[in-house]
Amino acid sequence: MTTPTPEGRDFRRDEVIAGEYVLGVLSADDRRKVEARLASDRNFAAMVDRWQSNLSSFDEGYDPVVPPPRAFSAIEQRLFDTLRPEPVPSRGLWHSLALWRGLALASLAALMVMGASMAGLFEAPSTGASLIAELAGKGSAVDLVARFDPSSGRLKVTPVAANQAEQKSLELWLINGSNPAISLGVLPQTGEGEIAIPSTFRSRISAGSVLAISVEPLGGSPTGVATGPIIALGKARNL
Amino acid sequence: MDEDIAGLLGRVSLGDRDAFAELYRQTSPKLFGICLRILANRGEAEEALQEIYVKIWQRAGRFVQGQAAASSWLAAIARNQAIDIIRARKPAANVIDEAYDLADPAADPEKSAVVRAEGRRIDACMEELEKDRADAVRRAYVEGLSYQELADVFAVPLNTMRTWLRRSLLKLRECMER
Repeated sequence: MTTPTPEGRDFRRDEVIAGEYVLGVLSADDRRKVEARLASDRNFAAMVDRWQSNLSSFDEGYDPVVPPPRAFSAIEQRLFDTLRPEPVPSRGLWHSLALWRGLALASLAALMVMGASMAGLFEAPSTGASLIAELAGKGSAVDLVARFDPSSGRLKVTPVAANQAEQKSLELWLINGSNPAISLGVLPQTGEGEIAIPSTFRSRISAGSVLAISVEPLGGSPTGVATGPIIALGKARNL
Repeated sequence: MDEDIAGLLGRVSLGDRDAFAELYRQTSPKLFGICLRILANRGEAEEALQEIYVKIWQRAGRFVQGQAAASSWLAAIARNQAIDIIRARKPAANVIDEAYDLADPAADPEKSAVVRAEGRRIDACMEELEKDRADAVRRAYVEGLSYQELADVFAVPLNTMRTWLRRSLLKLRECMER
């Protein structure tokens, strides 16, 4: 063919649009249109790939600049929900200054007293009083109220506002003093969560115990120590 | 170097976090440089860098060795992210549904987009363009400038800049295939 045809023009136009996309001169809307076509038109995608490869020698024009260290931490946090588990020993996490600062804030939040009406929900058993802890996190992704009945060994956890992604589990932890955290189990995915506390742990839940909730892979932490961010924690007190 | 990066990308596609950290260590200065140049704002560049490495983690499996150099593949992800941000911040006119003023070709280019070994590097073909047009092409790419910004920088009407770049792209394509 020696004369331009509409088809020929379209072909040249496509080459130009592919080049314009790689150069970056197109508007946001036009970029989305090009990308939609990339997914369905292999010839067009090959044009874009070829421009990408042809023009990549211009990348030499970019001077490298080392990003600040916090940038990678932020990326890991977004991708893996947490610091890398390996270099952070479990006790280190629980002993971290940030955590205990967070605890101080959470305790302040927990000062919002649940009120005497709550106490009426439980018959105070002779073996020990019911305990209640409000678990609140900074930024408040989820707030929970935990109620523990020592006589039955039932710990009842009510998520006040749970908006975590569904494929995650919320895992409850008990911390006494400087001891490593003990997993008390994974909260039910929806609604009111109730966890039966193993009898060996029941005696360890007392006023002053800290309850914490972390976000874990579905089904709970694979390692037995918290791997996800602590989204809420609070100190148990007598009801 | 590129082989190392390609190898790291392969491990990253299998979910290897150590490989990801090493890939980041080796490649983030270049990609951060891209973000800074295009966005000209450190805070935005840092945010863009996060998005870029999240995408790299998610898309590492799509990298096909041999089809593209690993470093260019990464740079393309970074440039696309930075350009998307700057186009959202400073909107540009939509053009691709409008008529394109392209010079009639002496002959139709080959109707095949099959990637083949390029006979010459882009640099040699850039030298065949008039200097200001070659500069416009390079600055569009490196700085992520829109047509309007290029028209302002080169002090020519917007339509003239569009014609410059489009005809330059066709000339480059024809030169590369020669």
